[in-house]
Amino acid sequence: MTAKLFSTTLAGAGLAFAMGTTMLATPAMAETLKMAWSQDATGLDPHKQTAFSSLRLLELLYEPLVRLDANLEVTPAIAASWEFNDDATQITFHLDPDARFQNGAAVTSADVKASFERILNEETGAAARANFASITGIDTPDAETVVFTMDGPNVPILSAMTSANASVVPAAEIEAGTIGTEAVGSGPFVLAEWVPNSKVTLTTNPDWAGGTVSYDGIDINVLPDETAILAALRSGQVDFALLNDPLIATLVPNEASLTLNKEPVLAYHVLQLNPARGAMAELGVRQAISCAVDRQEVLDTALLGEGRVTGPLTMPAYRTDPSALFCYERDVEKAKALMAETGYADGFSATVMAATGEPPTAAAEAQVLQSQLAEIGIDLTIEMMELNVYVDAWLKGDFDMAVALNGGRDDPYTMYNRYWTKAGNLQHVANYIDDELDSLMLEGRVETDLAKRKEIFAQFEQHLAEASPWVWLYTGYNYTAQQNYISGFAPNAMGSLFGLTSVSIDK
Amino acid sequence: MLRTIFKHPSGRIGLTIIGIFVLAALLGKLGITPHDPLMQDRLARLQGPSAQHLFGTDLFGRDVFSRLMMGIGQSFVVAFFSVAAASLFGTVLGLTAAWFGGFWDGTVMRLMDVLLAFPAILLALLIIAIFGPSGWTSVLAIAIVYTPIFTRVVRGPALSLKTRDFVDAARTFGSGRGYIMTRHLMLNLVAPLSVQITLALAWALLTEAGLSFLGLGTQPPYASLGLMLADARNLMEMAPWLLFFPAATVMFAVLGFNLLGDAMRDILDPKTRRALG
Amino acid sequence: MGYAIRRLLVFPVVMFGVSVFVFVAVRLVPGDAIIAMLGTESGLLTPDQRAALAAYFGLDQNWFVQFWRWFSHVLQGDFGTSTTYGKPVLEIILNSFPLTLELALLSMLIALAIGLPAGVFAATRKDKPADLILRIVAMIGQSTPGFVVGLLAIFVLSVGFGVLPEMGSFVPITEDPLRNLGQLILPALTLGTAFAAAVIRISRAAMLDILSEDYVRTARSKGLSDRKVIWRHALPNALIPVVTLSGVEFGYLLGGAVLIEQIFALPGLGRVVLDAIQQRDYALVQGSVLFVAFNFMVVNLLVDLAYSALDPRIRLDKG
Repeated sequence: MTAKLFSTTLAGAGLAFAMGTTMLATPAMAETLKMAWSQDATGLDPHKQTAFSSLRLLELLYEPLVRLDANLEVTPAIAASWEFNDDATQITFHLDPDARFQNGAAVTSADVKASFERILNEETGAAARANFASITGIDTPDAETVVFTMDGPNVPILSAMTSANASVVPAAEIEAGTIGTEAVGSGPFVLAEWVPNSKVTLTTNPDWAGGTVSYDGIDINVLPDETAILAALRSGQVDFALLNDPLIATLVPNEASLTLNKEPVLAYHVLQLNPARGAMAELGVRQAISCAVDRQEVLDTALLGEGRVTGPLTMPAYRTDPSALFCYERDVEKAKALMAETGYADGFSATVMAATGEPPTAAAEAQVLQSQLAEIGIDLTIEMMELNVYVDAWLKGDFDMAVALNGGRDDPYTMYNRYWTKAGNLQHVANYIDDELDSLMLEGRVETDLAKRKEIFAQFEQHLAEASPWVWLYTGYNYTAQQNYISGFAPNAMGSLFGLTSVSIDK
Repeated sequence: MLRTIFKHPSGRIGLTIIGIFVLAALLGKLGITPHDPLMQDRLARLQGPSAQHLFGTDLFGRDVFSRLMMGIGQSFVVAFFSVAAASLFGTVLGLTAAWFGGFWDGTVMRLMDVLLAFPAILLALLIIAIFGPSGWTSVLAIAIVYTPIFTRVVRGPALSLKTRDFVDAARTFGSGRGYIMTRHLMLNLVAPLSVQITLALAWALLTEAGLSFLGLGTQPPYASLGLMLADARNLMEMAPWLLFFPAATVMFAVLGFNLLGDAMRDILDPKTRRALG
Repeated sequence: MGYAIRRLLVFPVVMFGVSVFVFVAVRLVPGDAIIAMLGTESGLLTPDQRAALAAYFGLDQNWFVQFWRWFSHVLQGDFGTSTTYGKPVLEIILNSFPLTLELALLSMLIALAIGLPAGVFAATRKDKPADLILRIVAMIGQSTPGFVVGLLAIFVLSVGFGVLPEMGSFVPITEDPLRNLGQLILPALTLGTAFAAAVIRISRAAMLDILSEDYVRTARSKGLSDRKVIWRHALPNALIPVVTLSGVEFGYLLGGAVLIEQIFALPGLGRVVLDAIQQRDYALVQGSVLFVAFNFMVVNLLVDLAYSALDPRIRLDKG
């Protein structure tokens, strides 16, 4: 690297000198993984932080009872094993006796109980409480056993427990009120230093019960601009990086010294219609929009084809062939006919909102959709908003249409009950529900047989695509880029970075 | 006036550049472009410059040259209206502050101090976050940022002019307050103001570009120079022409106004006129 | 000196104005800290949870109470705690300020080191080819947006040459000066060269202005060498507008160069405020804007004082 640097005839001796010494002054630290991402965490309280940018840090520090592996199978974390009772109203966890918090204390059933009580306590303000509201009792028969009792059969609760938002924290720290200011977890890494929006320093936790990490720690740089991340990868300043923008990620394979990992994710790009607004109240209009959208073309243009057209169910176990869903082949004639039938032959005007940079492709997607819908007379005005202004409007259901990238879960019920059940917390955002959707969801919730569940949710998906409250588009990839001397990273469809624990550095 | 400017070397170049840009802006605004700047063509995505697409095409297969014309139109409109608003507010505030003095002067100038002390880009950012991004919000934001500068530019000379004899003379001859202000003060303020306006147009173009670059200006699918730069950012390796042409356009447009501003300062400022002579 | 005292008296008034202004403005932006933290998940909160979080973020009172609660603490030197990072606002500001200060100083240094000699040189070669070239370069430099220069620099260096100054994990100058310089050199050059263009133009104009003044002509007629006239007599006076301009620019730079910090991944003050606005971290936005405004006013006051100290008339009287 230095030889190359000095052979370049870069004009400006001062510049070359300063940069040269930079490279010389930072020899590769023995066994530290140098990492970069563009968005920093926004807090350390695992129960409160829900942003992806925070969760991927927190899941390296804290552990839930169980976690999802690379194939989205539920695997042990703090709990070594678990079982449901026969009617799925009770779930029992047996804790790993070796599990230790980073302060040396053993993880006991009392800590688990205190953690879940903290989540359930409304004073905490944990959004994840909604997933656990059905818990009616937490019993701790001994220090290594925890029994959760639910108000009815509830299989999806196990999937909800894999979230970093269900992490187990020390009961003593809850007592002391230091959750969120100190990070005392039981995970593979210890937080050594956090300079917000600049860097995070992690050291490997030698006492981690989940296995051994082959290197000494991770230095994470926050580089807000992804072109800068790519540049840092190229110049060898960074070993491993997280990339969000497909336009940047697709450049990585051009570089001989770098490897791009891409993992299909569960999060889905969607055009949300608001059936409470104007023309969108008409089934025919919503279906016309669904027929007028060429999903593949939006994908090809806005994401350079980096993704896969999808129906509502994005998890591999439940995913079906999307071409069998309503109007997944573009059909402009049918769309026009539907518009005419509902009395909108001349089209209508509406606005579509999108968040600036979240996802990075939002503005491009909105523009392709705008041009496609113009063909059936729908005159869309694009409103790009700062992320939290967008979220504010979204939560109030204050939009005609919205371009969104919504998170996915491994279980259809956990993923969608907030929108498509009558009691869903975000029903006022979805603004559409019918008896069939509601009853299929409730059926799926209590069914324990996987084959039967698949059947129920396939029906749900079919119906949802036909009612077209939203137009599901496609799923993209989660990108990580690494130097070739890094190996062993196991990506997962939730975008988790937990796979970093199996990485080895062989320079 | 135009003839005088045209005799000045940098004035000539500046005026020519601005003339070309204004023409492009007008054509862009009227929709007279080689291609429809909004027309997407999926078969022509990300093509380099060619005879058909002089400056290449963007991610959507839209013609970059046509979009640049549209973008120049948009950027010029934002720059023009924001500077017009800022100079109007600034002149009114500066003149009244100088004329009435006392409490009103204090209030206006402290308010301007507050606005000046507020970091400019953050001020613009907050205003846009509050009202939602659009071309007109950019106009408002830039206008508010530049108002204090105009207020100061106007108040200074107005104060010194106020004490001069001809104002007193006009007063004794019974001219009304309003008449004195508009006639005498304005005439003697035109020089510094017009220089300031030309330079402010250059800043406003840069500020608009910066705001749109942060995604806080003109909304897609319409084009502005800053928005085109922002969109080009992550594509600059695949399609460098997307960055190059808008960057050069911003540069030349700002250059035009700077050259013109220089020329006007030379011509109008008595001090430099003396120095030149 | 009376002028300085008058300006000092205005200080608290303006600072109070800035406080009120930023307090109201940041609250008018839609979305609050709860939404910023939880995103769409905040839709899952129960009313009681929402109330608990509002109390936690200090949003449970009306604006007057909130303002008084904040402002009375500020008067005692307590800028509050960042709701995002759980750290004192002042600590976050003072963590990022050294970088901003250093970047501002470094780019001023670059700008003056290039701009002053070039400007004086151009003035002495008035209307000769060297002058014209310098003026054109300066004009173009002043007309190119800094963020475009920064983007192009990163692109050319990393793609064309495969090198790049180290980004991220910023090292303070006290820890490792060379590494620190390596990190700051490119952004400082980007900011510095743009400002150098302005310095060239101003110093050239001021120099020409002064060279035509009577006393310089007298000095020349007395047989003093051109060099002596320029450096001893003309330059100090030509410095006045340069000092003014540099002071104002420096004041702006202390507020953080948001776009440049963003592009070069520098954790400076500009990004702190930008991120704080995005997170609706009211205490942090308010604290850092006050801090920036205060610096701006101090720098401007110093510039004014320097201006009167350098005033040519005073100098001429003495000489």
